[in-house]
Amino acid sequence: MYGSVSLRQLFPLLALLLGGFFIPMFTNEYYLYLGNVLMMYAVLAIGLDILMGWAGQFAFAHTAFFGLGCYTTALLNIKFGIPFIVGMPIAALLAGAVGVLVAIPATRMRDIYLALATFAFAEGMFWVFNTWEPVTGGSTGLRIISSNVLGFKVSNDVTAFPVSMSLMCLMIAAAMYLSKSRLGREMSAIRDSEHVAMSCGIDVRRTKVIAFGISAIYAGVAGAMFTLAQSFASPEQFGFNTAILVLTMIVVGGMGTLPGVMIGVLILSMLPEVLRTTMRSFQIWQELVYGLILILSIMFMPRGIWGSISGHLKKRELPSKNAKSI
Amino acid sequence: MSSMALYQSIASGIVSGCVYALVALSVVLIFKASDVVNFAGGEFVMLGAYAGLGALTFLEVPYGLAYVIAALALFFIGATFNKVVLDSVLKRAKHGQRTLVAMVIATLGLSYVIKGGVRLFSFTEEVRRLPSAFSGPPIFIGPVVLQWQDIAIVSISLALMLALYIFFQKTLTGKVLRATSQNPRAAALIGIPVQLMQLYSWGLACAIAGVSGVLIGAKLPISPDFGGPIMLLAFAAAIIGGFTSLPGVVIGGILLGIIQNLVGITISSTAIAVTPFVVIMLVLVFRPQGLLGGRHRIKKV
Amino acid sequence: MKINRLSQLKIFSAFFVAALSGGVACASDPGVTDTEIVIGLHAPLSGPLAAFGQDPLQAAKMWYEDVNRRGGIHGRKIRVIAEDDKCNANEVGALARKFVTVDKVFMINGGSCTASVVGAQEFVNREKVPFVMLNASGDPAVFPATRYVFGAFPGSQGAIGAGIMGFAVQGLKGKRIAYIAHNDEYGASNYGAAKAYADKAGAQIVAYERIALSITDVTAPMLNVRASNPDVIISAAYPAPAVLIAQKAAEYGMKQPLVQAIQGIPAPEVFAKNVGNNDALKNFYYSAPVNDLPDGPKQIKWLEMYKKAYPDRLVPSVFMVYGISSAMVVTTALEKAGKNLTRERFVDALETVKLDSGIMAAPFEFGKGRRDALRAQSIFKFDGVKSTLMPGFYTWDGSTTSPK
Repeated sequence: MYGSVSLRQLFPLLALLLGGFFIPMFTNEYYLYLGNVLMMYAVLAIGLDILMGWAGQFAFAHTAFFGLGCYTTALLNIKFGIPFIVGMPIAALLAGAVGVLVAIPATRMRDIYLALATFAFAEGMFWVFNTWEPVTGGSTGLRIISSNVLGFKVSNDVTAFPVSMSLMCLMIAAAMYLSKSRLGREMSAIRDSEHVAMSCGIDVRRTKVIAFGISAIYAGVAGAMFTLAQSFASPEQFGFNTAILVLTMIVVGGMGTLPGVMIGVLILSMLPEVLRTTMRSFQIWQELVYGLILILSIMFMPRGIWGSISGHLKKRELPSKNAKSI
Repeated sequence: MSSMALYQSIASGIVSGCVYALVALSVVLIFKASDVVNFAGGEFVMLGAYAGLGALTFLEVPYGLAYVIAALALFFIGATFNKVVLDSVLKRAKHGQRTLVAMVIATLGLSYVIKGGVRLFSFTEEVRRLPSAFSGPPIFIGPVVLQWQDIAIVSISLALMLALYIFFQKTLTGKVLRATSQNPRAAALIGIPVQLMQLYSWGLACAIAGVSGVLIGAKLPISPDFGGPIMLLAFAAAIIGGFTSLPGVVIGGILLGIIQNLVGITISSTAIAVTPFVVIMLVLVFRPQGLLGGRHRIKKV
Repeated sequence: MKINRLSQLKIFSAFFVAALSGGVACASDPGVTDTEIVIGLHAPLSGPLAAFGQDPLQAAKMWYEDVNRRGGIHGRKIRVIAEDDKCNANEVGALARKFVTVDKVFMINGGSCTASVVGAQEFVNREKVPFVMLNASGDPAVFPATRYVFGAFPGSQGAIGAGIMGFAVQGLKGKRIAYIAHNDEYGASNYGAAKAYADKAGAQIVAYERIALSITDVTAPMLNVRASNPDVIISAAYPAPAVLIAQKAAEYGMKQPLVQAIQGIPAPEVFAKNVGNNDALKNFYYSAPVNDLPDGPKQIKWLEMYKKAYPDRLVPSVFMVYGISSAMVVTTALEKAGKNLTRERFVDALETVKLDSGIMAAPFEFGKGRRDALRAQSIFKFDGVKSTLMPGFYTWDGSTTSPK
């Protein structure tokens, strides 16, 4: 489980990366757009999972860093002409820095208090995005202009796709390395029991702060990816609804596991489309059905879809089946 | 800022604060009894208001009966949710973090179910206010003007708070509930029917939410989306006062209501929106247990 | 006489090209065949804002079906693909791409929420697909105007702001105006135009209260308004805060006229019941884009048409007629574009539209640099029981900046 990342594990990522360049040739803009949005959510969700699923911190400030990453990347381009390839790292690091700042008081809190404090921070940032009109465009929003990435202009879904894919693969690979690293182990230890972790010599506070920072960096990158997928940013995109969406993605998919998070992102991104097409005559019931799906999934698949799948796979390996031969 | 504006801000702030406290009371009640945070608390209040409104408009019952209907309906719904969903979730979730997340998702799902369900009725398309239970010309206390409904809200929330406080501190059942939430295993060991207790506390809390809904809905126009924002203010009230202290919740609410109005007349109306968040952050950083939360309890592992 | 080889080739090529261009010109744009025109329709049909989308979308469908019944447009019937956009910018962006690349529609007619339609703006302009909003005000998507996006059939928020300010200043002779708006894009847009109007007319905005969407205690904003001593109070608040504002104005003994924008008072009878005190409405007015009350002589035919098409819908919302407006402009322009229908011709035709719909306070009008259809508002006086249409319509000149 721990150790180094083998080439075999990286292989699917390489396949995806290649796909990023070839898929746009065969697919229409609708699917490419959905893909761009999905990849953005994937990075966002992995970031949240690192904090919640790995380090066990129930913190809700994620959307603040998401918005920060998006506005920073967009504004650097609009006001200073800084291309994406430079703007994105700056935005990500800024988000990470703010994440660390938030973490310093936040790591003293637990459970519901941590959740509420970080949520209050996220709502506070939403208010800033909404009120600071001269910079963020306020409630009217911000028009995003196309950016340069390594020479070519990203101006539509086709050109955005390979860039989004590359970023997502990069962040997934980073997460894989992180999970197998010492830091990853420390985070899991903290999640399971802070006291035990402390007694093993882990600096709990420092690890938590780092987890916050890394999670915020992911959110910042996702915010930068937003500027590739969309042409318009408004504070609503970085508010409560998005926070809930990302939370449900990782819980329904399987918190703490990369495949789980990816499944959750896929399913919850597809869910509105599925509901829309399957519930044509009952549109108004969609909200209720969505709530039911959440309740049912947490009742019957508490460890998420991936948790249930891997649970079943493990069961199958047990020797009980061969008992008949005795 | 004139003194007239100051007194009015304080008086109306007290009333608004009691509204937040009413919403918070049911959430804190559930938290004290079962260590679960009900993120659908605001939706329950909204549902109670619509239940009362429906009873008044379509069944044309006398007002008092509307309260009873709302309380009973919500008792039933809350208890059912506890039995059907929460028991199953708690059984499968491990201790600590997993429980919190599972609770959040379950109650979040419930909030969508309630909202979506209420929205099915075209009656709820327009925002509506319940007719005032306590009507009459506005009351003037010096330069301050209040409505009878406002007085009712303040008195009932204080009365409820007092009743619940006495219940938890002085009665055997109340102490049993507190013990159960602090250490369910030990409670089960000495024969306390833990699940039954939690079922009743959910039912009671939701019944209170129902009554609060009918009260609040007579002051504020309601819509299916009413629950979210008011829940946030209720959380802020609970945090200021101390999440586990019932008197604290009321005091916290009153303080929050007054602070919001003072911010509005001294700084700007725009700043009102961000006030609860700033207050939450400040309290949690500098005095996490709130005003009346006692010493900050560290959870036993 | 023998036509030589070269001439034959030339003649043949000429025929070929002519045939091709004749055929190509009519079939080159997606969504148009000899028998049908495909329109992608979208509005919120679920979620919190479903009430803004359901009736307008159905009304638009009804209009298209009616046009089809009367023979279609130049022999083509309109085929509609209707989708739910949940008032969400992401959804609208996705739907725009789906309509264009998968369903291959001719044009898109959709959007009830301003924030959501902006999600499609860049895409439709890039792909050169005409996009006509359904009932959204859509200020950021029509100012500045882009070639392919048309909207603001109920009037943009700018028109609404200027309209109510116009009434306050001209109709009520107010010189000191207190303005209450929300801190969302609607509030920003309607206040901008209102302020420009006030500055031009020499009136002063003595209080500007920006309130949250979900505000439950309007004590502070109303105290501020009272302290500013205005002649007229304007509110652009949504239904729940609008009720609280009217109540508090009465409680605090404010006798000034109160003018409320349409977004806060979709159903006057319900509003009166919510306020609960008709004394509070002694000096109360509201704006609306329509030319009469819903059951008034000019509007009743639309209501009856809708009830006939959708008998299950007992109480259609007031926004229903906005959907008819939008569809009416679409079919008018389709008609104008002629038999040789292309997207470009359709957009050119839209630009020349000057249509008195019989629904709204003023004719719809677009132009070379203008993409907002309606710039006038009606004002109604409402005493809690009856609404009375005030004489005159209040028009906006389109400016959002104050004169220097």
